[in-house]
Amino acid sequence: MKTKFLIISFYFFIAFVTEGQDLLHSQFEVADNLFNNHQYFDAITEYKRLLFFDSTKTYQYEANYKIGECYKAGAKFDEAIKHFFIAEQSAKNDSLVFDSKVQIIRSNILRRTTDRAFQLLDELEKDEKFKDRIDEINYWRGWTFMFADDWKVAARAFAKINYNSELRILADQTEKAKVSVTFAKVISYILPGAGSIYTGKILSGLMSIAWNLAAGYWTVNAFTESRVFDGFVIGELVWLRFYRGSIKNAEQFAIEKNIDVANKSLRFLQNEYKGIKP
Amino acid sequence: MAILNNIISTFSQKHLALLLIILCLLISSAEYGQQTTDKINYLSPHNRLIFGNYLYADKDYLRAADEFKEYLKVESSDTVQFRFANSFFKIGRYTDAIDNFKNLFFSSSISNESRLMYYESNFFLKDYKTFRDLAERDDYLPIKFQKEIERLKFITYFFDDAFLPDQNLFLRSFPDSMQQQISKFYQLKKYPKHRSVTTAVILSTLIPGAGKIYTGEIGDGITALISTALCGYLAVTNFKADHQFRGWLFTGLAAFFYTGNIYGSAASAQIYNARVRFNFVNEVKIFFDQRNYLLPQIDF
Repeated sequence: MKTKFLIISFYFFIAFVTEGQDLLHSQFEVADNLFNNHQYFDAITEYKRLLFFDSTKTYQYEANYKIGECYKAGAKFDEAIKHFFIAEQSAKNDSLVFDSKVQIIRSNILRRTTDRAFQLLDELEKDEKFKDRIDEINYWRGWTFMFADDWKVAARAFAKINYNSELRILADQTEKAKVSVTFAKVISYILPGAGSIYTGKILSGLMSIAWNLAAGYWTVNAFTESRVFDGFVIGELVWLRFYRGSIKNAEQFAIEKNIDVANKSLRFLQNEYKGIKP
Repeated sequence: MAILNNIISTFSQKHLALLLIILCLLISSAEYGQQTTDKINYLSPHNRLIFGNYLYADKDYLRAADEFKEYLKVESSDTVQFRFANSFFKIGRYTDAIDNFKNLFFSSSISNESRLMYYESNFFLKDYKTFRDLAERDDYLPIKFQKEIERLKFITYFFDDAFLPDQNLFLRSFPDSMQQQISKFYQLKKYPKHRSVTTAVILSTLIPGAGKIYTGEIGDGITALISTALCGYLAVTNFKADHQFRGWLFTGLAAFFYTGNIYGSAASAQIYNARVRFNFVNEVKIFFDQRNYLLPQIDF
């Protein structure tokens, strides 16, 4: 008699509990469907609804993680990081903690707050729990360096995973395609216009040489004709202007070229690279 | 009765007790189901409302508006309608806010507050002329907040080029503690410290750079004077030394600096005036933003 009573009571209790759980799960599936269809705004609403009604906090990790992903997809990185952090706090095991942290790092990379990304990567690397995931840490470190425009170190980070990896080769090529800003300036001090030619701006470099030659001639000519004041004025106003201009130009052209080279590589990563991206 | 007694007697007392317990559990579970259907249907109007309120408190106004919208399809509530409209107001969708505050104008206990918010939304649309026209209309004005609307109307004069009303009339709407500041704004609006473009051009024609100095660009003015004078001097000395090419080159440069400086002075005066206007509007905006345009904070 007593056993029968207990069995029946237990049945009803389980029925109540599982019904609630099923509903939460259905809500999670609804949100997931929206997420999979890239309807991120609606997906966030449904995940938030799930979190609001999930009094047992069963979906605290999953829902917050997905909300973070939705916000990241919409380039709302501050909001994304906030939710990945909540996910990290409610993660049930180390692997999930690692995933959340990596998402925070990826959001920081995209937000261009690369210093914070480095700080988090250092923390992960020092953590004994994540020793077996060092390749992933190096992978995101490489990406962080690429976004911090340090392609040489990025190549080194990718080389630690696989020397022949596509990203290592790309980072190396980018580094080699860049020009030295200092070298461009130094050769412009020696021969005005040479820096511009070095950065590929040949016409501008030749014009610079011509202006400097003409202005130099007029200055020297004024001095040789004892028109000392003229010589100083032309030298200061014309010659020095072109001389300084050629140095500044060389510096500017070198910076612009480096930005172009980096942007070209980043465009490749965005549009053609098939691996995991931030 | 005899039949019932017969049936009861066929069951032992233990069986009867078990049957009763099962019956009780079934009834209670059915009732529980009834009660919880609403609780566990996340999309029921009640749940939409509480979820919407949560989003609203979390400042996620766009999503809150969606929830309130669904709720209002099946239920009617002035406060929810107000929150719905206010959600749009909070995210700067003033046209939507206006449309929805309008729904509370008549036969609503919060009609005055809604009308005030309707005017606020119109004010923030930045079509100040339309706002002033609207403020003149008596049929929409909230009786409780007439002073506030009039103040808003006067504030609009600071932001566009409309002719300013009489100063006494203007100042009367503002509290005593602000009279001095508002009076200062009024004077600055009426007599802006502008620089004349014509004067700048004439000055630069007479003395290169003088127009720029007049508009506050002292460094540029002095540079323009020196450049023009030096190029002129170099042109003369080169002609004297029989260097025709260099003579003409520096003559061209001097003429370029001279005309460029006149044009630059005119542009500089215009930029100066635009800066004065921008700074004035900015100062007024910060002043009133910090004081919420002297409006009460309304929410339900």
